[in-house]
Amino acid sequence: MNQKELNLILDDVKSFPSMPAAALKLLSLLKDENAATGQVEQVLRYEPGLTANILKMTNSAYFGLPTKIGSIRQAILLLGWKKLIQIVLTSCVSAIIDKPVQGYDLPAGDLWRHSVAVSVATETLVKLLKLSVPDEVFTAALLHDIGKMVLGRYVEADILQMDQESLNDVSFEQVERSMFGIDHAEIGAKILKRWSFPPTMISIVRWHHEPDAAPKPNTAIDVVHAADVLCLMAGIGTGREGLQYQPSEAASTRLGLTQKHIEIVASQMLQWASELAASVQSGS
Amino acid sequence: MNHVVLVGDMKTGCKGDMIVTHALGSCLGLMVYDPGARVGGLLHAMLPLSKINPQKAEENPYMFVDTGVPDLFKTLYDLGAQKSRMVVKAAGCGQPLGNSEMFKIGERNYTVLKKLLWKNNILLEAEDVGGTASRTVYFDLSTGQVVISSKGVKREL
Repeated sequence: MNQKELNLILDDVKSFPSMPAAALKLLSLLKDENAATGQVEQVLRYEPGLTANILKMTNSAYFGLPTKIGSIRQAILLLGWKKLIQIVLTSCVSAIIDKPVQGYDLPAGDLWRHSVAVSVATETLVKLLKLSVPDEVFTAALLHDIGKMVLGRYVEADILQMDQESLNDVSFEQVERSMFGIDHAEIGAKILKRWSFPPTMISIVRWHHEPDAAPKPNTAIDVVHAADVLCLMAGIGTGREGLQYQPSEAASTRLGLTQKHIEIVASQMLQWASELAASVQSGS
Repeated sequence: MNHVVLVGDMKTGCKGDMIVTHALGSCLGLMVYDPGARVGGLLHAMLPLSKINPQKAEENPYMFVDTGVPDLFKTLYDLGAQKSRMVVKAAGCGQPLGNSEMFKIGERNYTVLKKLLWKNNILLEAEDVGGTASRTVYFDLSTGQVVISSKGVKREL
């Protein structure tokens, strides 16, 4: 690695696009047990662009609502405000990551589809294994690979050497570290930190490939880690590095995860994830 | 015409068609071709056995190897293919690093395929399976040629 290149990467982190202010406000409401429907509505009142997307997603087959929803208030009534906030955040994230990612060879929309799939797989695992996790975990799952958007062009420049190093069966985030002194997970965590996102989310993004390296074991990290491996295996947004990642046995044990769970989740999430991903993408 | 096969999907076609499937990780990509009838099909199945979610298998047999493979063969027979002429090739079935039993879906996909083919006296003509690679398959139904692309390198299977 060379220091000059690392500095360039860190500069790119600083100039990375910011999240809409509404996103941060809604994230803080998500943690507030006393938040009221009115507060959520108020934040969205000044975001007409978001509102259109919210209605599109709410009406997607994924939620299977019996009637068409025409207003935010109606959406909150039917889905609950927590779910609605997640939808808003999903829509904010889509605007940022629905782009091609060079280096990892992800065509436009692939990182988005992967992120939605990991979020849906996370949700499915949480329900199946009856895990207790904070609500931000689903948004963190959507953002887990955002660091790839910064690191991509550096990977592109050094890809042949990185392909070579990958032959030694080392996990790709380690190849990134030996190449650049930083990996996409750490870059992602830095981006979320700049956005003033909550520490839990930063930590999930930071350790999603290495849950055992986190300061202390955390169910939210473990479940996103497992969901990510699952979606890579299913080929949803799997990039040039393929399955060059190492699932943590310890994380699986902590979650009580079995092969059967993995297959059940895989069989359920595929359709949900594609419906949800398409509902925001189409016409956006 | 170009057809793209998504995860848990199958497409068949004839001379003049090209079938493509992207990013095979642990999934099985199965390419079957009859050079006599010049028809072929590609299955992209995600999981080994349909018993894990029978309702899903009912809706979409192509999600599973044990329901998708027989369906692919039946569809091709309906298009005039004959068993004696079938050329069968497999790709994908990869797995992440380490040797976690839990994440061996790729290996199990391959095992179920081999069992099915063996029971039906069908041989695999060629395969590119296992490892951590993500593979994209181009299947030319004019010639039966299968090209696998991985890490920017293309090679014929």
